[in-house]
Amino acid sequence: MSRHIPALLFLLPLFAAISMPMACLKHREWSRPLAISVLGTMIGLSLVNLSFVLEHGAIHYDFSGWAAPLGIEWVADPLASLILVALSFLGFVALIFAGAGEPKNLGGRIVHFYVLILLLISALTGIVFAGDLFNLFVFLEVAALSSYALVGVAGGRALFAAFRYLILGTLGASLYLLGVSYFYAASGTLNMADMADKLPHLLISRAVVGGLLFMFIGLGIKMALVPFHAWLPDAYSSAPESVSPILASLVTKVALLGWVRIIFWVLGAQAVLQDIPVLLLIGVLGALATVIGAVLAFTQHEIKRMFAYGGISHIGIILIGVSQGNQTGFAGGIFYLLNDAVMQAALFFFIGIVIFQYGIRHVEDLGQMGKQAPWLIGSLVIMAMGMIGLPPTGGFFGKWYIILGALEADNYVAVGAILLSTLLTLAYFVKIFEHLFRTPATVTNPQAVETPVAFQFSVLVTSAAILILGLGSDPIVGLILNHALPPGL
Amino acid sequence: MVDVMSALFQRPNFLIFVIIFLWGLYIMVTRYNLVKKLVGMYLVQTSVIFFLVSISAKKGATVPILRSTTDTVNAIDYSNPLPHVLTLTAIVVGVATLGVALALCSAIYRTYGSLDEEDILKRLE
Repeated sequence: MSRHIPALLFLLPLFAAISMPMACLKHREWSRPLAISVLGTMIGLSLVNLSFVLEHGAIHYDFSGWAAPLGIEWVADPLASLILVALSFLGFVALIFAGAGEPKNLGGRIVHFYVLILLLISALTGIVFAGDLFNLFVFLEVAALSSYALVGVAGGRALFAAFRYLILGTLGASLYLLGVSYFYAASGTLNMADMADKLPHLLISRAVVGGLLFMFIGLGIKMALVPFHAWLPDAYSSAPESVSPILASLVTKVALLGWVRIIFWVLGAQAVLQDIPVLLLIGVLGALATVIGAVLAFTQHEIKRMFAYGGISHIGIILIGVSQGNQTGFAGGIFYLLNDAVMQAALFFFIGIVIFQYGIRHVEDLGQMGKQAPWLIGSLVIMAMGMIGLPPTGGFFGKWYIILGALEADNYVAVGAILLSTLLTLAYFVKIFEHLFRTPATVTNPQAVETPVAFQFSVLVTSAAILILGLGSDPIVGLILNHALPPGL
Repeated sequence: MVDVMSALFQRPNFLIFVIIFLWGLYIMVTRYNLVKKLVGMYLVQTSVIFFLVSISAKKGATVPILRSTTDTVNAIDYSNPLPHVLTLTAIVVGVATLGVALALCSAIYRTYGSLDEEDILKRLE
């Protein structure tokens, strides 16, 4: 039974999404509890799956019984299972948040809003588990299509941002598909494990190197790596407040995970360490991304855009971690990926509440909030500590392991880039806190009604998770080091 | 140089793929009308599909269905079904993307009364 959990984890949100328009035809208010209960079940299942995988080793699931190179295979290894726990947890919290602040002008289409969120979750599950390059493409596109629709769901100025996101995202997907067809032309297979067996003899082929480059650009657009990041700030800042946490915390990180799978599991650690200098490429681009993202974040006035650029800068830190080519750096990178997903969700919950309750969008107006919500300010302090990387939070330990890995690889440029981006992150949070505390509360906002429990729940739970990831960093990094490392690293 | 040229003209499918791909990319970058941008985007998607089909074409091969169970199977006689299946899926993905894109376009037109990127950007200011 436990062997079927990976398939179940995907089918549950998918079938819920498909059946929701029918089940909630008469009672549209059922859609929210239905979606939340699906995600709640997913948390339980993903925990069972993680413990099963840690005990019995990776699950290789063949759909409809067709064995791997011919059929479609799903691989639930410890890395995928770990990410999936984070994915279903964040999806659950983000859904609770989205329910309290769902876009007002949707009316009867609110059912479709939840359908899109569930489709997004199921597609992301598919990307995490996919053991087949083409399967990865299909799920990337399903996830992307639901995100385009979710960005534009409330209409207004978000429509144009969604359109730009769609144009760039589709270009990225086409380039990824082109890369996959190069790989297929060279090796004659699409299964990741099968291709990993065949590629070592094909590394001199220009088709492999070219295909890898196309895949990199394609996935680079999807994960908003710096030269290709132009779609992200517009899309995430104009998306409805209830949607941006789920997009910001999950979509780019899962695309990054897909890229990590391709370089370490398909090409293999041997090839990337010795034959193809792809780690150098992503190391340099990661260093650029983390510094440029933080500089751009510092120059923003709109808080949502500032956090969106902060996310871009952290994608760079994760890439620096995985590009060091040693175990410490890789574990640090994956651990930072988990942290960043939680922190991005928390930051966008925070700004969502600030917009809903006080109507504040710009840094300069933050002072108007006054001292009305100490729990909100308190959790913002924890988020800032996590983003900057101060000791009790997960952000510190992630950066710590990444820097240790970079020192092990004698890569001082990477260390410098991380330290510089840390300083810049400190700078933009100082800017936020300065406006928050120094500006007198001139306007006492009459709209400041009682905060819904769902808002408090989501912010407090994610801030607690930032601390818990920091306090529990030893077992989690140990788990990654012992179980989730790519073969041969 | 001559080698490269002759290699190119021996594989006209690659040449056509590159031309369609770049053509689509050029339209996407240079046109201000959103629907024209979508035409460019669809050309890019189609060029990749064309590439997949063209690398799997095989002279004198037939559909991969066995006519009898007793004859020996020669793989040479059959064309590879996998790229064609991939192509079908890629076409479906492309159509879905285009559907979402056109829905966004019509919503943009209803909101801004224009499909010209510059007009919309001016209205957004």
